[in-house]
Amino acid sequence: MLARRPFFITFLAPAVLTAVILAAAIFEVLQYSVREFIPGSLNVGGFTLANFAALNKPIYWWVLADTFFISLLTAIFSLLASYPVAYALVRAKKDWVRSALVSLSITPLFTGEIVRTFSWMLTLGTDGFINSMLRKLGLIDMPIQLMYTRFGVVVALVQFSMPVMIILLATAIAHVDRDCEKAAANLGASPTAVFWRITLPLTVPGILSGIVVVFAWTMSAFSTPQLIGGGKILMISNLAYLQGFSVLNLPFAATLSLIALICALGSLALMKGVTSRIERRLAVN
Amino acid sequence: MTATPTQEASRPIPSQEAGSAVDIVRVRKDFGAAVGVADVSLTIGKGEFVTLLGPSGCGKSTLLGMIAGFVTPTAGKIVVDGADITDLEPYRRDIGMVFQSYALFPHMNVYDNIAFGLKMRKLPAAQIEAEVRRAIGMMKLDGFENRRVRQLSGGQQQRVALARAIVIRPKVLLLDEPLSALDKNLRAQMQVELSELHRKTGLTTIFVTHDQGEALSLSDRIVVMNKGSVQQVAAPVELYRRPANGFVASFIGEINALPPGRCEVNGGTASLVLPGIGPLAFPVAPATGFAPGRQVRAFLRLEHVRPVLGGEAGPNVVTGTVEAHIYQGSHTITRVVVEGIGLIETRVTGADIVAAAPVGASLALAVDLSEAVLLDAAE
Repeated sequence: MLARRPFFITFLAPAVLTAVILAAAIFEVLQYSVREFIPGSLNVGGFTLANFAALNKPIYWWVLADTFFISLLTAIFSLLASYPVAYALVRAKKDWVRSALVSLSITPLFTGEIVRTFSWMLTLGTDGFINSMLRKLGLIDMPIQLMYTRFGVVVALVQFSMPVMIILLATAIAHVDRDCEKAAANLGASPTAVFWRITLPLTVPGILSGIVVVFAWTMSAFSTPQLIGGGKILMISNLAYLQGFSVLNLPFAATLSLIALICALGSLALMKGVTSRIERRLAVN
Repeated sequence: MTATPTQEASRPIPSQEAGSAVDIVRVRKDFGAAVGVADVSLTIGKGEFVTLLGPSGCGKSTLLGMIAGFVTPTAGKIVVDGADITDLEPYRRDIGMVFQSYALFPHMNVYDNIAFGLKMRKLPAAQIEAEVRRAIGMMKLDGFENRRVRQLSGGQQQRVALARAIVIRPKVLLLDEPLSALDKNLRAQMQVELSELHRKTGLTTIFVTHDQGEALSLSDRIVVMNKGSVQQVAAPVELYRRPANGFVASFIGEINALPPGRCEVNGGTASLVLPGIGPLAFPVAPATGFAPGRQVRAFLRLEHVRPVLGGEAGPNVVTGTVEAHIYQGSHTITRVVVEGIGLIETRVTGADIVAAAPVGASLALAVDLSEAVLLDAAE
């Protein structure tokens, strides 16, 4: 087919080039991770497995576990917050409601990660929006600590991931056969029963892919935990940054990056296995 | 074409029990400025099999949707078993429905699909089990209980959809073009099964289709609709033989429409005088609607126009030129252009006519007006 349509090759060239560059970069990371660290120098020494041996410390295991935990929480809360929005976005009867929801859910994608994180810092800080509101309302005397907490990081990450989750869920909800819902209503299912027994089960594929995508995406989160966690909440990218640019231990940073990559890919593969099993059981698609 | 709703309230309804199951009273549905259903009134007897027949966009599906509760009427009311259900939510209506797409639940197996309505009614588990088994037996689905609906053939899916709808013992069964997705052989088979199911359950059934063949073979009565209005309500034979207007005449079966002519009586013989053709005599008694001096259009079924291969002229014989033969296996439809009349079609058994009267040859046709339908020329 490629031979008969030579323009395909022209079209594919940019993508192939990008892929080659990415592969080269990953190979470089791999290469750095097995090099000896020379303190005080950016040059690296000979081949060694010492970097991997150094990983075996409780602090690193904790960071890894915390990264998993934060990613999982983010995926779950992102799902819970996005489903109603996606549902309304697909099912709203008024056109203007739908377009308003689309704009509201998609525009955050066009503001940078840093801008959004700073907004959250302004919101979550001790003199931030939430604390000053609560104080004005007389609900609290002392500001609540929201910045530099796992809670604050998760809140910001959830908001960060919602556009993607909403898009994936909305696609799934739009694919639900309305006749199935009508048939269920016709058979005596109240609107609530129709949702729980028909709509929700039929959108499970979308729910699962939303969770997988947001989970893997959050695994690589950097600036949000960096700025809102302020060093108190370390995710694996923050640890790699710390090693690479504060300690200037590039080989160990490379090792951590590699571990992060493996964990992200591994969890993707794992969840893919789980999700395809659930999908097969539901026999949707 | 003006709509002439024929309510025929005086005609007895061929119902199995006394009393009406569904009363549709001056129901109307507007979509913005467009009229979906225009003031339709209809009474359906208990146990009756009624078909809503019409071309797409005639309002038949909208009417069905209003009975099921998915479409809110703009005006009018719908009464089922004596209770006004016009404003009742769909899930409180106890009306079974088979969708055109079947709308089986893809995440459930056959058994759970059929049991769904009973579970929603919170019946005891043992009763659900018994009812579902009965429905499975009735629809010949034994052995398929644990199958995914995607693994079923079209006909099997159809039977699951029917089982799911009848297992709740609905007050009325609605069928929305349920046969349209099946191939021809299966469609004929399912028609027989639908008929049998109706006989066995005695359920009041409202069937929507655009296929006149299905309508004629299945129905106790047919409601012909066009542009949101009821054109005629009648039993199949009545509808075929006595269409109320030009729309019904040409929608049900094939028919020849003769140009406008005048009814006359000359020397005791009733005849139809067509300009440029002359009088065509009515054989015994003139058809219904004959009145001397009346301007009418005569509609003639294909079987009442017979080719005369000898070519002899005679009373009620017109001659034209063969335009085309449409061979259909058991019979051939021959299209003849007759000067002064236009196109006339005749149906002849076999294919001999193709050789006997080749395209371009002249062919004499004997016109039998005994079964002609006379309608106002203005139509």
